[in-house]
Amino acid sequence: MTRCPAGTGGAEVAMAELYVKPGNKERGWNDPPQFSYGLQTQTGGPKRTSLTKRVAAPQDGSPRAPTSETSGPPPVGHPPPSSKASRPPPMGTCPATGVELQTSPVTESEVPMEDVLRPLEQALEDCRGHTKKQVHDDIGRRLALLQEQWAGGKLSIPVKKRMVLLVQELLHHQWDAADDIHRSLMVDHVTEVSQWMVGVKRLIAEKRSVSSEEAKEETPTMAPENQTVPGFQQSS
Amino acid sequence: MPQFSTIEYVIQRGARSPLIFLYVVDTCLEEDDLQALKESLQMSLSLLPPDALVGLITFGRMVQVHELSCEGISKSYVFRGTKDLTAKQIQDMLGLTKSAMPMQQARPAQPQEQPFVSSRFLQPVHKIDMNLTDLLGELQRDPWPVTQGKRPLRSTGVALSIAVGLLEGTFPNTGARIMLFTGGPPTQGPGMVVGDELKTPIRSWHDIEKDNARFMKKATKHYEMLANQTAANGHCIDIYACALDQTGLLEMKCCPNLTGGYMVMGDSFNTSLFKQTFQRIFSKDFNGDFRMAFGATLEVKTSRELKIAGAIGPCVSLNVKGPCVSENELGVGGTSQWKICGLDPTSTLGIYFEVVNQHNAPIPQGGRGAIQFVTQYQHSSTQKRIRVTTIARNWADAQSQLRHIEAAFDQEAAAVLMARLGVFRAESEEGPDVLRWLDRQLIRLCQKFGQYNKEDPASFRLSDSFSLYPQFMFHLRRSPFLQVFNNSPDESSYYRHHFARQDLTQSLIMIQPILYSYSFHGPPEPVLLDSSSILADRILLMDTFFQIVIYLGETIAQWRKAGYQDMPEYENFKHLLQAPLDDAQEILQARFPMPRYINTEHGGSQARFLLSKVNPSQTHNNLYAWGQETGAPILTDDVSLQVFMDHLKKLAVSSAS
Repeated sequence: MTRCPAGTGGAEVAMAELYVKPGNKERGWNDPPQFSYGLQTQTGGPKRTSLTKRVAAPQDGSPRAPTSETSGPPPVGHPPPSSKASRPPPMGTCPATGVELQTSPVTESEVPMEDVLRPLEQALEDCRGHTKKQVHDDIGRRLALLQEQWAGGKLSIPVKKRMVLLVQELLHHQWDAADDIHRSLMVDHVTEVSQWMVGVKRLIAEKRSVSSEEAKEETPTMAPENQTVPGFQQSS
Repeated sequence: MPQFSTIEYVIQRGARSPLIFLYVVDTCLEEDDLQALKESLQMSLSLLPPDALVGLITFGRMVQVHELSCEGISKSYVFRGTKDLTAKQIQDMLGLTKSAMPMQQARPAQPQEQPFVSSRFLQPVHKIDMNLTDLLGELQRDPWPVTQGKRPLRSTGVALSIAVGLLEGTFPNTGARIMLFTGGPPTQGPGMVVGDELKTPIRSWHDIEKDNARFMKKATKHYEMLANQTAANGHCIDIYACALDQTGLLEMKCCPNLTGGYMVMGDSFNTSLFKQTFQRIFSKDFNGDFRMAFGATLEVKTSRELKIAGAIGPCVSLNVKGPCVSENELGVGGTSQWKICGLDPTSTLGIYFEVVNQHNAPIPQGGRGAIQFVTQYQHSSTQKRIRVTTIARNWADAQSQLRHIEAAFDQEAAAVLMARLGVFRAESEEGPDVLRWLDRQLIRLCQKFGQYNKEDPASFRLSDSFSLYPQFMFHLRRSPFLQVFNNSPDESSYYRHHFARQDLTQSLIMIQPILYSYSFHGPPEPVLLDSSSILADRILLMDTFFQIVIYLGETIAQWRKAGYQDMPEYENFKHLLQAPLDDAQEILQARFPMPRYINTEHGGSQARFLLSKVNPSQTHNNLYAWGQETGAPILTDDVSLQVFMDHLKKLAVSSAS
């Protein structure tokens, strides 16, 4: 999950990243629901119920007959036990992310395109000396495509809002976080973003590499990247 | 180290090769299916590690191997889909045999820098992602026109041959996945499964039984040869088959089964089931590494009283003989070492041992037998690792210490191991023979460990260690793994593929689905997989591994229809409806492959998924015999668990058996 920079409505966007949509019933009978990238990558807390228990069949062979509240076919119009009865509800509180939770309709304030495009173009400019010309041009082409689609109203609000967050992370040099947002957009909104997002992805990588070179020039020694732990042990 | 039975070592030295992903893509798809597949592949480029190598082969009537370059012009090599080629011919035609020199890339030296190897056809993601995204985006449907009443000409057999040959010639003996995406059966060339005339349907189990499957033997042989070649090269093959009709999984199943690759079956690439299952292949663990691992070899060593009979799982034999190898083979036998080219944290092998007693010597009291499992593999971080598990158990005499053996019996593991054996045999033996064999094993177990008076079935008792075991066998006999005629050959192959590789908990779910009951009477509770569990005021959640079924009892369904869940004073009913949905969601979020999701109610057409799984203790034949009207009668002539147990007891206590 992304951190929420203050004052950009990040909290709503973060919530909106945890959603479940129904599956494609037209193409696949009983297609399961679709979970957003945010939900799928949650490591999540301990499971509330682990559904793996079984009941042994009785040895004498007769089927169990659990007591049932309603005997015989229930009369139509017979209501369920109401909440006002002393019986407590069987489950605890509803979880924060339930099935059918849609993105909450947030303030429909339009996201200014320049907030996203300017920093990206600036980042590209910063890479000019470092990146191969062809790659540079290719990224530039894709940013132009992003601009065209944005201006043409082809991008949805969630995509725009998440791009704002991505740019924030990029400006703060949080490469992994920016990368994660790009991934979440590719997973959740591939149809909208696939043509240009790979350019943004490459831009993040180039900016990261430019910055680490600049850092190297300042500090002569660098810690080795990979710490391998010999004889890693784990109990069974 | 007495307190650890499993230790993993990380190998520091040696070259570390990048992971390799070779996409083999069928272009004979419908427009929106192809578009959805293209988007999934483009998305996957964002999920792959930057230094992974990626390649693309597309096929339809012809097979095209795409040369990936950073220049503007894209080239490809085109092969006829009708002619099979040897690996050497493929490597020659792709120009691999002359210039296979690794390209060194000069970079500021770092202590663990490795020479960077790539090829024109397999390039690192960080270099090629933009061009490959465009290349994928521009893929068109196979241009050869398909006339009315015909199937598209699909050269899957040659496409796979070329993929295997390409990897063999460029990166043998390093972790690589060949990922085949197909939307229909192979219809031309070696490995074809059906002709291109739509009026000739693809083979069913009945056709196979009557020896009426024209292409089956030859096609199976073609894919078996490819699978063995791939396993020898240390690579694995995945099959992602999405179509409404069969795609030839029966003939191609050895490709994932022998190499440890995945088999995914869906209705269309434009479904959540495919898209999310595919995404989950790239899921990461706590360290940010992929869960997949490659190129494993497993060696088993035993103390002298034990011999290895064989293994059943996604592996091939390495043919390593030795004193601990038994002559009696169970599964893949005749060896103490196997190769598993693709694996993940749930991959599980069933390994079978034999106790040998030299010269009828008594087993020493308090003596221990020991087994050691040594697995070498390539971790997804590209490190080589070795994992060693050592276990020891006390010996017990079967005559005098039967109760000790009984107390140590793991009925769940035993059920899965027997089931794997049964399903393994079912691949080559007649169905009824396998069932008879399973029954005989169960009867012998009951004779040995049951407490009873001879000829007195009513006296028969099994201890708690066996409380679930006969039930497991009952459900196994009715399962789609052994009862094939309700499914297509492709579906059976799909179910069996997953059964042969999953861990204990998931395998048990497949044998005997889990059933939980939700009601106002308390928290959700497990209930018997029995028709008596289907009640009007309960909601049931059934997990068969391949399907999650939520079933509303008749009264619940009526209340929902009346809208009580929307009224504030019936908020507890709203919670009741939501509870199984939340639990289902937890399962759906984690499982690979993603299951189908069925939300149905009493009288619904899809209630059949529940009704066909439960033990039919009440059928139209015996409803009145039990004298109660609880539960839903099942319209079937299947034997019920009660009848099964009665017969079992009779046979166990009989002197004649």
